[in-house]
Amino acid sequence: MRETGEKKRRQRTAAEPTDAFRRGAISVFILFHLVAITCWALPVNFWLTNGVRELVRPYMLWTGLFQSWDTFAPNPPTANGVVRAVIETRDHHMRVWAFPRMEQLGYGERYAKERYRKFSEVLLQPNNAPILPDVARHIARLANDPDNPNDPPVKVILVQYVEDIPATGAQPTPGKTTAFFEQPIQPEDLR
Amino acid sequence: MIEAWKTRWEEFFFTPQSPLPVALFRILYGLCALGTVVLLHGDWLEWFGVHSWVSLETMQTVEPGVRLNLFRLLPQDDGWIAAFFWVCVIFAVLLIVGLWTRFSSIMVFLCLCSIDQRNLFTNHSGDTFLRVCGFFLIFAPAGAALSLDHWLRVRQGKEDEIVPSAPWAQRLMQFELMLLYLASFLWKMKGAAWRQGTALYYVLHLQAVRRLPLPGFTQHGAIPMLLTWYVMALELCLGTLLWWRRVRYPLLLLGLLLHLGIEYAINIPMFQWDVLSAYVLFIDPADIEKVLRRVRG
Repeated sequence: MRETGEKKRRQRTAAEPTDAFRRGAISVFILFHLVAITCWALPVNFWLTNGVRELVRPYMLWTGLFQSWDTFAPNPPTANGVVRAVIETRDHHMRVWAFPRMEQLGYGERYAKERYRKFSEVLLQPNNAPILPDVARHIARLANDPDNPNDPPVKVILVQYVEDIPATGAQPTPGKTTAFFEQPIQPEDLR
Repeated sequence: MIEAWKTRWEEFFFTPQSPLPVALFRILYGLCALGTVVLLHGDWLEWFGVHSWVSLETMQTVEPGVRLNLFRLLPQDDGWIAAFFWVCVIFAVLLIVGLWTRFSSIMVFLCLCSIDQRNLFTNHSGDTFLRVCGFFLIFAPAGAALSLDHWLRVRQGKEDEIVPSAPWAQRLMQFELMLLYLASFLWKMKGAAWRQGTALYYVLHLQAVRRLPLPGFTQHGAIPMLLTWYVMALELCLGTLLWWRRVRYPLLLLGLLLHLGIEYAINIPMFQWDVLSAYVLFIDPADIEKVLRRVRG
């Protein structure tokens, strides 16, 4: 009986430093992540949070812990917009291609296709301009008619149509169309 | 003083508790991950294939840095990319049933993280929440209950009951949920439309995000204004008070109603379910046990 008690005590003493070390290491892990995700996510501009953000940036990007909770904030859009593409072919025919419009889809379909809405919104942000050539080429591939190989797309123009949401009681104003990107298409882009 | 903080820290993060909430979260999380990948199914190659909307090279140029992205390791071939998604589906199912739970949770996290990193331009808040919670779920005792792993251990005589364990990973996921609400509130505070109460009027008039029809009175007059401020107040409460036991369940109920309302009115696929799945992390294990006992009869 005394021997078993002694054995247990020996085991416990032997286990304690490891356990304490383990808890210490986990505590460091917890504290680091609490600080990192808090400083990253909260939209505050203090020198300390900015400093921490810069310090943890490589780790946050690597692990995928980066986050932003700004849906419809700081202000929601005040206009309805649609992105379309005008495709010009070698024989100067014009075709119009549009991103799927959620309001024209069935309830189930719009649940599955919502990422197209998000994507078309993202295209309009100036800092995302580097992706526009890829987008134009992809649209050209979609619009390319394989039954008519002699008349391939040669140019894609991305166009935005915007219509302001009238404030309560105000009259609706006519919408505006703006071309925001143009890309010549080469034959190799269609492969 | 320091000793008191140390004791509180130890109690909060390391006092063993039943892993039931985490196990239940694992099931719901797995369903959400599966739902996300299945919803994408028709567009796997459109968004992630060799000839996708944004090429892998462009993505690397626009969003540089070392990132956990398995697409960078895969051969650039549509067959491999489709296979990657089937692997995601398999591991999401394994996570739901709790087989090889730790490994499955790592794989699901890696898959979701890769999907997000491969095309950051289509991500929404639900994807972000799944990704961040997925990281912390790896460290949680998610297979210690309600899992095939646990069932097998009991059958082999290695365990006879659910073993309590330190809830630190669960606490991190709880914190993440509260941070989501607090950050959302602070972002909204920066906008005049939210402070003045006009924000929801505009949100409800955005044709592209509308889901099911709303009665006219909810879209005009004082109702959208009151709803705007209500949403902000609730987000502030959910972001700061959820660890206070006395108000926890009423707040969770209000949060549940808010998310169901958003799910009805606004088309942000999976986001509401992703967030609601984490609500179970705040439920007392004894209450979960009561419900489970009732379900089992």
